[in-house]
Amino acid sequence: MRGRSDSDDDGVSDEALLSGIVVGDDRAGLAFVRRYQHRTFGLAMGIVGDAGKAEEVAQEAFIRIFRHAAVFDPRRGSVAAWALTITRNLAIDAIRVRRDVPTDPGDRVFVELIGRDRLPDDVVLATDGVDRARIALAELPVEQRRAVVLAALYGRTVREIASAESIPLGTAKSRIRLGMAKLRQAVVVAEST
Amino acid sequence: MNNYIENPKHCESIEDELIELSLGILGGRRRSEVLAHVGSCGRCSAELQRLSIVADALLQLAPEIEPPLGFELRLAERLQKNRTLHRSRHHRWVVGALSAAALLAVVLGIGLATLGASRGHNEKTWSTTANLTSTAAGSGGPVLGKVFVSAGHPGWMVISVDRGAWSGEVTCEVMLVGGKVEIVGRFKLTDGYGTWGAPLTSSADEVRGARLVAPDGTVVATAHLS
Repeated sequence: MRGRSDSDDDGVSDEALLSGIVVGDDRAGLAFVRRYQHRTFGLAMGIVGDAGKAEEVAQEAFIRIFRHAAVFDPRRGSVAAWALTITRNLAIDAIRVRRDVPTDPGDRVFVELIGRDRLPDDVVLATDGVDRARIALAELPVEQRRAVVLAALYGRTVREIASAESIPLGTAKSRIRLGMAKLRQAVVVAEST
Repeated sequence: MNNYIENPKHCESIEDELIELSLGILGGRRRSEVLAHVGSCGRCSAELQRLSIVADALLQLAPEIEPPLGFELRLAERLQKNRTLHRSRHHRWVVGALSAAALLAVVLGIGLATLGASRGHNEKTWSTTANLTSTAAGSGGPVLGKVFVSAGHPGWMVISVDRGAWSGEVTCEVMLVGGKVEIVGRFKLTDGYGTWGAPLTSSADEVRGARLVAPDGTVVATAHLS
């Protein structure tokens, strides 16, 4: 897996790369693309389910990231979250504009996320919020895990989740609520202790 | 909405919608209403912040996938178009950095300016493109990148390698008409990535191929240009 933390093997933080992009440092732009292309493409691929469309989405995401690098506000979240949110929203727009059928939740990416079991070493390796989220997600009952992933990564609304899972609206809401409560406990509470 | 301030009952009633807001799935009028409430309620604002940390972490769990070959190159082309559209100074550097095509455009620009080329010059940026293939398993190996040779005098050669596992300096040689070989320059590959360009001392239409040679003389990759 490529670097998921705020600074990669080269020791340069994401924020520093964004600053470099703003002032015109070509190496910073190149490093940023190489650091994030697998993640943006992977996320887009998971949502649109087609390599060609996923590339369009990932490229558009980079164009927007470069265009708006100067206004990135680190107080509102990490660069990774910002970049991936842009990617996710573009991917969701892409499938809605084209009236495509959203990716079948039986696809490879979804199955990988849903089926990911906790490994014995995970707890030891859980050094940041993302690791803790991974572990906590793996510990959720599968129906909550599915609902949370469909919402968080695939941008499915509660109504869409209820329809996809053939469950009442209230059940979809409660699955998301219960899942998010456990994740919040694992990610946020653990972070503040 | 000021009437929502310090109203625990109301705060409890929108807990689900706060979650949906943090996940980016709350739309329409309710989104505006909940946002208005959050803007005036410290408790819900703090809760939204906590939920957003979780939502951000979840997004980062998406599996990483290798983009298709040439992704960087096509991205650079789009950035160049984008630059033209937006006339933004901020993007000027990106063109030269991200890929061979962009680099080629930059160096051609410099070259043409140096030669005093007229304004209305044909904007075609290269005349020949070929795949650069690995020679590790003999001829016809996997594609590692692309080679561009621009038209003009002098011609320009730009190489973009975006796949492979080789790191270190390589020498770029061009094969010319009549079997003559010319060293164009040296550049560095890092984990299989590298982009580089240089002027040719020969005319571009004399170039029949290019190859990358490791310091020990091993030919790492070749390209055949028609």
